[in-house]
Amino acid sequence: MGLEERLPEGVITTTLEKLVNWGRAHSTWPLLFGLACCAIEMIATGTARHDIARYGSELFRASPRQADLMIVSGRVSNKMAPVIKRLYDQMQAPKWVIAMGICASAGGPFNNYAIIQGVDKIIPVDVYVPGCPPRPESLLYALDKLREKQARARLKAQAPSSPPAEEILPLGA
Amino acid sequence: MPLDVSPKFRPYEVLPSLNVPGIPAVAPLPTGETQDTRRIQERFGDDVLAAGLHVGAQVVYIRPTRLVDLARFLRTDPRLRYETLVDVTGVDRLELPVPEGEARFHGVYQFRSYSRRQHLTVVAPAEGGDRPRLPSLTSVYPGANWPERECHDLMGILFEGHPDLRRILMPEHWPNHPLQKQIPRGGEEVPFTLTWEDPEFETLGKQILPAESVPPKVPPGMDSRRHLIINMGPHHPSTHGVLRLVVELDGEDIVRVDPDLGYLHSGFEKTAESVRYKDFVYYTDRMDYLSGMTNNFGYVLAVERLLGLEVPQRAQVIRVIMAELQRLAAHLFWLSTHVLDVSGTGMSLLMYATRDRERILDLFEMACGARLTVGYFRIGGVSHDLPPAFRDNLELFLQVMPQKIDDYERMLTLGPVWEERLQGIGVITREEALDMGLTGPMLRGSGVDWDLRRDMPYSGYENYDFQVPVETAGDCYARYRVRMEEMRQSLRILRQALDNLPDGPYLADDRKVTPPPRAELDLSMEALIHHFKLMTEGFHVPPGFTYQAIESNKGELGFFVYSDGSARPYRLHIRGPSFNNLYAIDHMSRGHMIADVITNIGSIDIVLGEVDR
Repeated sequence: MGLEERLPEGVITTTLEKLVNWGRAHSTWPLLFGLACCAIEMIATGTARHDIARYGSELFRASPRQADLMIVSGRVSNKMAPVIKRLYDQMQAPKWVIAMGICASAGGPFNNYAIIQGVDKIIPVDVYVPGCPPRPESLLYALDKLREKQARARLKAQAPSSPPAEEILPLGA
Repeated sequence: MPLDVSPKFRPYEVLPSLNVPGIPAVAPLPTGETQDTRRIQERFGDDVLAAGLHVGAQVVYIRPTRLVDLARFLRTDPRLRYETLVDVTGVDRLELPVPEGEARFHGVYQFRSYSRRQHLTVVAPAEGGDRPRLPSLTSVYPGANWPERECHDLMGILFEGHPDLRRILMPEHWPNHPLQKQIPRGGEEVPFTLTWEDPEFETLGKQILPAESVPPKVPPGMDSRRHLIINMGPHHPSTHGVLRLVVELDGEDIVRVDPDLGYLHSGFEKTAESVRYKDFVYYTDRMDYLSGMTNNFGYVLAVERLLGLEVPQRAQVIRVIMAELQRLAAHLFWLSTHVLDVSGTGMSLLMYATRDRERILDLFEMACGARLTVGYFRIGGVSHDLPPAFRDNLELFLQVMPQKIDDYERMLTLGPVWEERLQGIGVITREEALDMGLTGPMLRGSGVDWDLRRDMPYSGYENYDFQVPVETAGDCYARYRVRMEEMRQSLRILRQALDNLPDGPYLADDRKVTPPPRAELDLSMEALIHHFKLMTEGFHVPPGFTYQAIESNKGELGFFVYSDGSARPYRLHIRGPSFNNLYAIDHMSRGHMIADVITNIGSIDIVLGEVDR
């Protein structure tokens, strides 16, 4: 195939977009941040048995400045919502959100005065994980799904000139 | 700016056909008398409105003007010696057929005598009608501080003489007291028929509303001119969840710590009032999410006590097995996170300990299909019998586990860092522990020999031979030792329970409470009717109230259930051990260095889901 045949062994060609997406998708660093029951399963995902390190996401960062994935692991109360919003705003783009469990996705069993019915009311969500709480395997599957989405990202869409609302790609696209 | 993120925020209506309220009734007055109630009656005469036994527990109704005197008498009288105030809560009787002129709100106090193994419930009708007032008991029992603040926040009772009556769980700007009966449960209507044309789908993932941060206030009494005030949390890696601590610092020394709670307040108590008794079991799992089995246990025991339901022997032993496995799992998790926070190099121990915890979760999964939020207990027994392979797997676990606990202890105590960081930190004396109403390892680490499993046994704990570890030093190291020894004792109980597991049914055979077996539904019309009634309406619980406490891995987990005779709890209050134990953080941290706050949080062993409920 033309150029590649002439290159020395060990050299491959690809597009810059694919290379960047490959890097992002395989070292997505989550924010070290747990809310409720799901946080315990999130920790279980990080420990030896399920080993999130196989996917390059074992480095939970305590500072939102160093993280690019927010796993909302649990119910979001009215008091906590501004904090989550601020943490999300502090993260640097490109950034992704996984709503882990039914509480973060839609309020779950807590349909009452205290709990917000889904974290997507305050921040955009990329992947919703069902379960109460989801098993670690479910979270790993959600990361798989997220990687699929990350692989589709267009560098052009993230350029500063484009409007920020367009960053949110629907999953089925 | 108050945050209103749900545009459809409106009262939630329960489907009328599914919830038959029954005839609401006030809890009957206590009857008979005991040694303690007689003594109180002799002393207080006509100010005791009623006294005696109610659902097997000592209850005294007292005129609110004499409440503080009664508390002082209970604490100081040599023949009573109620050392600690376990819980404070309230009941709003708006929807009950209360006779004209009687108080709308009742304050409910739980007193405990550790030396005499006695429990006493005191009920005080609040003065002031819709704006209830009660005298504060903080002058007699300092540990009443937080429970009274919680009762004020959620129920609206004004505690006169309280030193610091601020909201504790809800945000500062919250307009009402959510547990009052005229306040709706809130929430959103669930759209059951949603099509792709629905506008909600268009905005899915883009419904981004502003959530403005409320500028944090400096708690009253903190001096921001002389001292540095720093904010730990609610997003902080070492606060074990969403806890916010406002720390006042003089250099690196701590002057004061003021916890700000409620970032995970989920309205459990309000929700309980609109679900049937059998359905609330699943909510309890999500409270202290590290010990789902234990939470189930306390709740079902409370309801069974109100029902007067006998639980089969096999179910009782299965419950003990599950509760002790859960204690081990929770202690392992406590150990791994505590070590991770304190020693920095403890990642390996986290990996080891969670590996063993996974073994326990596998056992749970075998029994009920879930790892964390188990929902295994039923009112009247457990949901399934143990599967055949359970015994062998538990046997295997019991063989490997003692060695592991020894290993972990060696890993920690052979190095100098662990002892250095724990010894002499967060010292609580025996008297202070009783004052503050601490329970569990916090109490036993300070030299109080008390364990509900041994001293007020439930579910057949009196049949097991085990020791209650007690340490007298009162520091973080003492509490660490208590918990390590508790794990070994749990293994002992498990061994005995497994060896003596009786045969028989795993669920009570009372058709008014427990559903009939599936096979019976095909043959018997009667069984079908019972099943239908139970699944639609639920069972009715006789009017009355009870406080049932169990020894959870963190301390005393209590459920106060008030029934009005319907199929749903009229009022349910949860006394979370983490909540009351966290009160000690200020006392423990004063005078230490900022890094010791982390040690203290780990040593208290909090789970925010239970602190905030």
